[in-house]
Amino acid sequence: MTTKQKKGFEDSYVVEGKMALPYTYFAGSVGSKFITTVRDEKKIMGVRCPTCNLVYLPPRQVCDKDFTDIRDNWVDVGNSGTVTNFTVVRYDDKHMPRKAPFVLALIKMEGADTPFMHILEECKFEDVKIGMNVEAVFAKETTNTILDIDHFKPVAERASIQERNAGRKKWVADNENAVHGKQKGGKPDMSKPVIIAAALTGAATMRNQNPSVPYTPAEFATEAYKCWKAGAAMVHVHAREDNGMPTHDHERIRATYNAIKDKCPELIVNLSSAVGMGKTAEQRISQIIAVKPDMASLNTNTMNFSIVDRKTGKIFIEYVFENTFTMLQEFGKAMEENGVKPEIECYDMGGLDNTLLIAKQGFFSEPMNFNFVWGVAGGQAFRSDAFIAMMNAIPANANFTTCGVGTDQFPCIMQSCILGGHMRVGLEDNIKMPNGALAKGSYEQVEVAVNIADSLGRAVATTDEARAIMGLRKK
Amino acid sequence: MAKRVAIVGTGQTFHKSHRPDVNGQELINEAVQRALADANLTMKDINAILIGNMDHFEGINYVDCWSVDGSGGVMKPVIKITTGGTTGASLAVGGYHMVGSGMFEKVLIIGWEKNSESDTTGAITTAFDPIWDRQVFAGAISGLAAEAQAYMARYGASDRDAARVSVRDRKHAMNNPHAQLRKEISLEDVLASPMLADPIHLLDVCPRTDGACAVIMASEDTAEKICPNPDWIWGTGARHSYAYLGDCDWGRLTSMERVAKEIFKKAGIKEPRKELDVIEMYQPYSFAGLIWIEDMGIVGHGEGPQYVADGNTDMGGELPINPSGGVIACNPIGATGLIRCAEAAMQVMGKADARQVPDVNYAVSTGFGGCMWTDMLLHGKKKPN
Repeated sequence: MTTKQKKGFEDSYVVEGKMALPYTYFAGSVGSKFITTVRDEKKIMGVRCPTCNLVYLPPRQVCDKDFTDIRDNWVDVGNSGTVTNFTVVRYDDKHMPRKAPFVLALIKMEGADTPFMHILEECKFEDVKIGMNVEAVFAKETTNTILDIDHFKPVAERASIQERNAGRKKWVADNENAVHGKQKGGKPDMSKPVIIAAALTGAATMRNQNPSVPYTPAEFATEAYKCWKAGAAMVHVHAREDNGMPTHDHERIRATYNAIKDKCPELIVNLSSAVGMGKTAEQRISQIIAVKPDMASLNTNTMNFSIVDRKTGKIFIEYVFENTFTMLQEFGKAMEENGVKPEIECYDMGGLDNTLLIAKQGFFSEPMNFNFVWGVAGGQAFRSDAFIAMMNAIPANANFTTCGVGTDQFPCIMQSCILGGHMRVGLEDNIKMPNGALAKGSYEQVEVAVNIADSLGRAVATTDEARAIMGLRKK
Repeated sequence: MAKRVAIVGTGQTFHKSHRPDVNGQELINEAVQRALADANLTMKDINAILIGNMDHFEGINYVDCWSVDGSGGVMKPVIKITTGGTTGASLAVGGYHMVGSGMFEKVLIIGWEKNSESDTTGAITTAFDPIWDRQVFAGAISGLAAEAQAYMARYGASDRDAARVSVRDRKHAMNNPHAQLRKEISLEDVLASPMLADPIHLLDVCPRTDGACAVIMASEDTAEKICPNPDWIWGTGARHSYAYLGDCDWGRLTSMERVAKEIFKKAGIKEPRKELDVIEMYQPYSFAGLIWIEDMGIVGHGEGPQYVADGNTDMGGELPINPSGGVIACNPIGATGLIRCAEAAMQVMGKADARQVPDVNYAVSTGFGGCMWTDMLLHGKKKPN
């Protein structure tokens, strides 16, 4: 058939090309295996190159970088990942996979090094951000294509905690007189949400003790993110060099702090002002002034801080942790002047009394936030009655949290939660789970803390609630 | 046997969104006749022909044979090269290799597209992997949008910065009678035009065009005899960077960086910003005018927006880019890369008329393919050593 052309070109004709050329493409042996694994096991698999260690998704037969044959090195990359890039397609075309508008995203799966293109649904366009976490939604009926992953959707990461909190808050309100009424406003007061903090590394926990200890900024960010996802509102950080040594280097500390903030902007970051053994006072405080974290630790007495064999009592490393009155005063002032809220670390009643004495100068902003630390070789071990004495000694409007070294960790946080205080866990204090197995990361201990709060019917504080409770600056 | 190579003539059609008055062969013939006239040669002088387009725009697979009615290739060696968006630039690189090998004295290179006859998005989509990419992705714009989005996230640029590039190229096109879109636009026009895929507006992207371009290359044995001011090719390069959409470093054009480093090093160019006089860049959308000049090494990462905003790449600026109006004003895809090459050659030869940049010693032309590929040529007034 011919059709007349437009005005002015009446003598030219166009002839319709009627060919439609349907193709069928073999997905390849690698692609086929990917598709059948998604279809039959709801698992997303990539391939790892043994030469350069990159995990490729889409999987392929050879490594792009070194041409190594990688087709049989399948690894599970998990069913969730991060949006590394996206666009909102706003024009329609018959070849498009969806009717416009829709979100096209590059998604890097948790265990993969290369992102792959897919479609993002179940979210508002304005909520799509680079870095957001998403998970695969599998198709109800198979098409034997990569569309057996129908689309990705945002991970409902905070919803579970929030939902549980909503339930708890309602329960607390409904039962105020019966259960919590007599506690409210005094101590113990379980009506307030409990702040869960995770101390990711400390200065002394090394990878040979627990391989999940983060060293690099990226590892800190990943670990902090997992803790936040699990329910932590705050992380406590001692930055490390790549080889694991604690560092007072401002750039490294700032890079670590920024990496965490980039990954989860709302999370509260509390930096150590102890840093590690043998650091000078200047090295300890200047990094806090330089980076200006939300919060920083403030240590309250000069004390033994040793590494001993707990079974035999033998001393491995002898160390005096210097925190003179002058340091307590100067560090405290420097923090307050720089908008950094001190977390006052009390290793025994003496340290607490030191603080109350210095506090008479009036430079501490209210409310004061105390951390009762148990089980340091040089400080006091956890005892239930000592805990109550510590709690009773702090000012009426002050907050308290607690952490314990090794097996003191879980008992002390449970008591704190019952008494209306807050909880700190993490690999800095303890590398294990309550059953003695190595913790997969600080986040696994955060899950234990969340379970404790759950058991006691206490809401878990969001980062905003935690900021309000502890009197931190707005994010 | 290796010979130095020069461009001795170029020819272009007057490119339009639709050329209802010619078919493919007739369109090709217009460009070929103009190139032969420009070089003062006849078809008898031509030893071999290279021709290319993007197959799926016309659905004609044996373009090398089919086109002889227009190209003049009867009983001559004719080779087809088709590499998607880079086709035109790959043709130029291929022509350089053929003449440079010493086996062909004069080669006619033709790039063309009658885009109006095609299903553009469908044709472009054939450039992507059918198992992994085509299931979720189609066309060219969303991939470019992903690049722009990544660049903005990494360097804090805005769509207003990019719009400045469109404004520049459309202004430059006013000087080029061959360009398709010859109407000036303002920053506000660009930003108010419909959003196609965030952050790309309609006026940020190139049009669809019917057009053809022909270039004649000759070896050092005859170049200076037939042409008083030949355009010497100082170097060429091509890099393809990835297999699947997710593999590239979005927000950076790695292929451009590699190819530019290689060519500039070979030619002894240390400060391209100062030593180059003009660039004809295959820049299919405005953000590329910010991002890719950084990858080319003209300015540092993140410095593109300021450099462009300050007028450095305008006519009369430090380093004018796209005096022809570039791809944003005109895009017959299979010809587009070769038009860049022809325009750069015209700048060196002093034949660029109203769009001539004064005293061009070095010019660069590039080609870009939808899958983040780059081809590049360095042109010069002086005969290479």
